[in-house]
Amino acid sequence: MPRSLWRGSLSFGLVNVPVALVSAVRDLDVHFHQLHADTHARLEVRRVCKKGGHEVPYEEIGYGYEIEKGKQVVLTQQELDAAQPEKTRTIDITEFVDVDQIDPVLYDHPYFLIPDDTGEGPARAYRLLVEVMEQQGRAALGTLVLRTKEHLVAILVREGLLQATTMAFPNEVRPVSDLDLPGKDAKPKPKELQNAVALVEELSRDFEPERYKDRHRERLLEIIERKRKGQTIEAPAEPETPQAVPDLLEALERSLAEVRGS
Amino acid sequence: MPRSIWNGAIAFGAVTVPVKVFGALEDRAIHFSEVHLADGGGIAHQLVDPTTGDEVPRDKVVKGYEVSPGKWVVVTNDEIKAADQPRRKAVEVEDFVPGDQIDPVFYDKAYNLAPQDGAERGYALLVAALEKTGRVAIGRVVLRTKEQVVAVRPAGDDGLLRMHTMHASDEIVSGDDLDVPTPKKKPAKREVEMAGKLVEGLATDFDPDRYHDSYRERVLELVKRKAKGEEIEVKEPERPEPSDDLLAALQASLDAVGGNGKPKKSGSRRKKR
Repeated sequence: MPRSLWRGSLSFGLVNVPVALVSAVRDLDVHFHQLHADTHARLEVRRVCKKGGHEVPYEEIGYGYEIEKGKQVVLTQQELDAAQPEKTRTIDITEFVDVDQIDPVLYDHPYFLIPDDTGEGPARAYRLLVEVMEQQGRAALGTLVLRTKEHLVAILVREGLLQATTMAFPNEVRPVSDLDLPGKDAKPKPKELQNAVALVEELSRDFEPERYKDRHRERLLEIIERKRKGQTIEAPAEPETPQAVPDLLEALERSLAEVRGS
Repeated sequence: MPRSIWNGAIAFGAVTVPVKVFGALEDRAIHFSEVHLADGGGIAHQLVDPTTGDEVPRDKVVKGYEVSPGKWVVVTNDEIKAADQPRRKAVEVEDFVPGDQIDPVFYDKAYNLAPQDGAERGYALLVAALEKTGRVAIGRVVLRTKEQVVAVRPAGDDGLLRMHTMHASDEIVSGDDLDVPTPKKKPAKREVEMAGKLVEGLATDFDPDRYHDSYRERVLELVKRKAKGEEIEVKEPERPEPSDDLLAALQASLDAVGGNGKPKKSGSRRKKR
């Protein structure tokens, strides 16, 4: 059972359900530790005060904000929590929207919300929310403060549980106008589009997530195993930098011929 | 024009479209520095050898993987880089899949793509072909030292391609992995109906302009007040009491929003679909 990283209340109208937030993705990356080069002792990170060089326990650390050059205001976690107390402990569902209207660029991290109480009341209130939301097929929207940042949250039903995905606020999405996107003069010719569509269709299949294994993880463990056996690992060659194809139509026709096996 | 974080191509079939990659989101979080509350001193992070208690200089630090308890294999950055050896700097597209089949739970980080000089027509062609077919390209690319599975999809009406790095399927936690209590009594039909009415009353269009990070503003206010020397009142944030009488809580919620199922506080901005 994963650890919960937030405990609070999900509130919907005047119905309050005590909930805990647990991650809906697990980190399976290969992690390295920092070691002493000579002794291979595993190193630790120590927080040290620059005034005097003494170690500082976590509870004695505050949040400094530079309000103007050289002038810093320090806040404690308790003061930060007091900025908007209701948001620190409650996800207040303010509206229900059509999930297709949410731009996936906003999605940050998926979590499960699970009942954080063994009582019959909370378990039933949770089940009621699941049932109703499943019926209505909408995403519930609310906000949540984690540590020092507020997130927009979309709540959906997945596998009979409430899945809450933290989201960026829409004003955090970079404007597309900052990018040099192709103008009208780059519009594809009908024959090019026809061939490109044919190529996409030829290479199409259903989305099966199991097909896309994390090969990096496997290969990194292989490298570690080879190193353990005392083998020498060669540094890889620099990858080539591909150029734009000079003739789009020709490249499309060549691709089509290849995938069609002629 | 912002700075790109990576330059490479999108490759499908024999077609290569060189692109520049940008972060899709701007970090607007308030950044704090760590401070020792007792004396206002800044905090430094030191790497320390716990067996001696001494700080270890950076050039004496190596990366290790624990193959069995206490047994470490040391690897260098170049060796880590040797794990994935791409032939070229490119997103190698493997498949095209229907966009509506991808659960957004798979999406991790989002990037904007822009064509490099001379690749505008190839870029526009890929956008048009994906839009016409409703497909999303799934491929692999080595970013920094790590191969990632990515989805490339057209986004919005501006002819933009967005790239999302993706979680592997074994990284997605299943509901079965969680221990969730089931109630002895299922919610009653009446409760489901009333809750349904409440949901309908709160149904609206997703309007990106409506959502703001109000906490951020409140924290900045707090900073200003504290700068003036004001005392900040600290109250332990309360967690609301769980609703034991569901039916009563639902009835009270519906009463509060008025008989028509629309919430009072909504005002005129809320559109009913």
